[in-house]
Amino acid sequence: VAKLCVCDLLVAQCDVNCCCDPDCSAEDFSLFTTCSVPVVTGDSRLCSQKAAVYSLDVEANPPERIFNLIDQVNPSIFCIHATNYKQALYLKSPEIPTPENFDRLLEKYGGATFSAEPDSWNLDTDAQNPPDANETYRYEYGVPVQTEDAFLRLPSPVVSSWCSDENPAGFLVNQATKCIRAVSVEKCDSIRALSMLFYINSSILASVFQVNITVQSIIAQSLNGMRTLLDSSDVLRLPMVLGELCINAVLGVNYHITYTDTGEIIEAAAAFVLGAISKEALSIEQSFEISFTQENTQPVPLSGNPGYVVGLPVRAGFRPPGYPFPAEFLFAALALSSSKHSQLTILQSTSTQDCLAAQGARAPVLFGYNMISGCKLRISAAMKCQPLAQTLLDVLKGQSFPEYVASFGNSQAQDVLDWVPITQLHISEQIISNTLQSLCQIPVSLGIEVKWTKYGSLVNPQARIVNVTATVTTTTLKQLPSGRERIIPVTTSVVFTDISSPAEPGYKAWPTINIKLPFDFFYPFV
Amino acid sequence: AMKILNSSQLSSLPLQILLYVNGIYYVFYFLATLAMIIYKSQVFSYPDDFLAPDLAVLFLMAILEVPRLYLGFKGNLTEAEAPLGLSLGLTVGSVVLCVYLLLWQTYVLWADVLLNALLLAAYALESGLKVMAIAAFVS
Repeated sequence: VAKLCVCDLLVAQCDVNCCCDPDCSAEDFSLFTTCSVPVVTGDSRLCSQKAAVYSLDVEANPPERIFNLIDQVNPSIFCIHATNYKQALYLKSPEIPTPENFDRLLEKYGGATFSAEPDSWNLDTDAQNPPDANETYRYEYGVPVQTEDAFLRLPSPVVSSWCSDENPAGFLVNQATKCIRAVSVEKCDSIRALSMLFYINSSILASVFQVNITVQSIIAQSLNGMRTLLDSSDVLRLPMVLGELCINAVLGVNYHITYTDTGEIIEAAAAFVLGAISKEALSIEQSFEISFTQENTQPVPLSGNPGYVVGLPVRAGFRPPGYPFPAEFLFAALALSSSKHSQLTILQSTSTQDCLAAQGARAPVLFGYNMISGCKLRISAAMKCQPLAQTLLDVLKGQSFPEYVASFGNSQAQDVLDWVPITQLHISEQIISNTLQSLCQIPVSLGIEVKWTKYGSLVNPQARIVNVTATVTTTTLKQLPSGRERIIPVTTSVVFTDISSPAEPGYKAWPTINIKLPFDFFYPFV
Repeated sequence: AMKILNSSQLSSLPLQILLYVNGIYYVFYFLATLAMIIYKSQVFSYPDDFLAPDLAVLFLMAILEVPRLYLGFKGNLTEAEAPLGLSLGLTVGSVVLCVYLLLWQTYVLWADVLLNALLLAAYALESGLKVMAIAAFVS
């Protein structure tokens, strides 16, 4: 203990205020103000141990350092009297590699990652492997998809960009990853991660039976990057060395998993991209993707689940004519906004700013983003009013302006009550004029106001659209003298207003006290 | 007839008292040592292959203690030397286990030292009294 010094940082130089520094001389000590390290001891839990105490005697002139070696006693009854376990109070020093244990250490620690207990999760899945195969196997969100041997692997970069094969795919978690794998052309048929078999080998454990991974399609990519879809996707193509190239190496895998609404996986398919590796390539980039689709539905991108997520498009649709309101909606009653035709869109400003030339360019309305866009309309005397008004209305509203907007981000077409009708308003700026000329009203602005509220619990509020109002403002177009031109600005705006009411606390019902006297409580008297 | 005042009782009263006190003390000792082992396993680094022998010794000692005390009581009260002799043999075993817990446990706390030293003293005194009792019974 006398030789240990924590504050001795500078080699062969005196550290300031470090009383235990052996490089300091008596003159240096006389310049110190305090001792930064007053006591050096071992583990304080021992019953008795040596302690080196350093202090400065400021009374003496010049100040000198006092060093004492004392026995420090721990008065607690639970102090450690003795230990028979060498590493009890010290950190374990790591194993020094020797020629004998080098191979074992390399196997354990040589990869890009290693864990404290490398076999633990393989053992876990063995324990879970159903001997009770009658039980249906249901997955919840985020739970790793289990296969026969371990988990469905989606190789992804872990610390660096190198592929790690131990990343399990989570149920209903759509992921896309890219990572780099080290390859060599000579041994390319022995590298497991380059062959199709590695990805479709094990079957997924789901419900009563196991689901095999089928090959959906194979795309071959040539050395210069050109991709062709191969016809026969049932032939398993394994990597082979052909001259200086290695062909049929897996460059990308795209898993498509189909599940039921109770969380059972019923189908799994994989689409491969196979390519060729040239001799000089030391590494290739592989990309992996997995997506989950509920059975019997089209994969519609949701704008939130259930509340709208800021930045995702507002879903809208139509009610086909002839359907009685409200109850008898059939399955595909509302056209979903996956197609561009029935999305809520506004005019997109272009660089030319000419309304008539800008027809067709529309931007989707994204939830939470207030937008304003516009264009300039050039009116000459020769233009007729009615066609002009109709054209402007088309420019403002687009080809198919929807009638209903989804209330939640995940509203299904079948649920009528989850869709909010768009209220259409017309405001006309009437200019009272003296003349009795027939006034021409042209729409010059469209304002969409979306009122939304926070819905649900206070800690996780979901955005819900309550009301959508589309206001078309028209103005009178005065007749122009011939030859003159006028430029009118036309604007579209979308505003999102939060009309949430303040949160109300919800309390549980008070417990009721149920006291009843026994029947014959007042016996002698009653 | 004159009453025989000089009683011919050979059973040793001090031994009986000591055995009784030993029984009570042992219960306290067992619970305290078990609690301290649990405490040590939480506070210190106590790997399983060091924890297992310590616990095994403690439980073995508890298992030995019951027949040891029973034979001691029985031998002393019935003034028979065979049970007392057997009890003495078991005491030797208990002494060995106690010495293990005193010296060769993984962590020996100061409280451990006190408890075990007290138990060893009790065993030693008991052994002495048992030897004297056996001598009295045999002769």
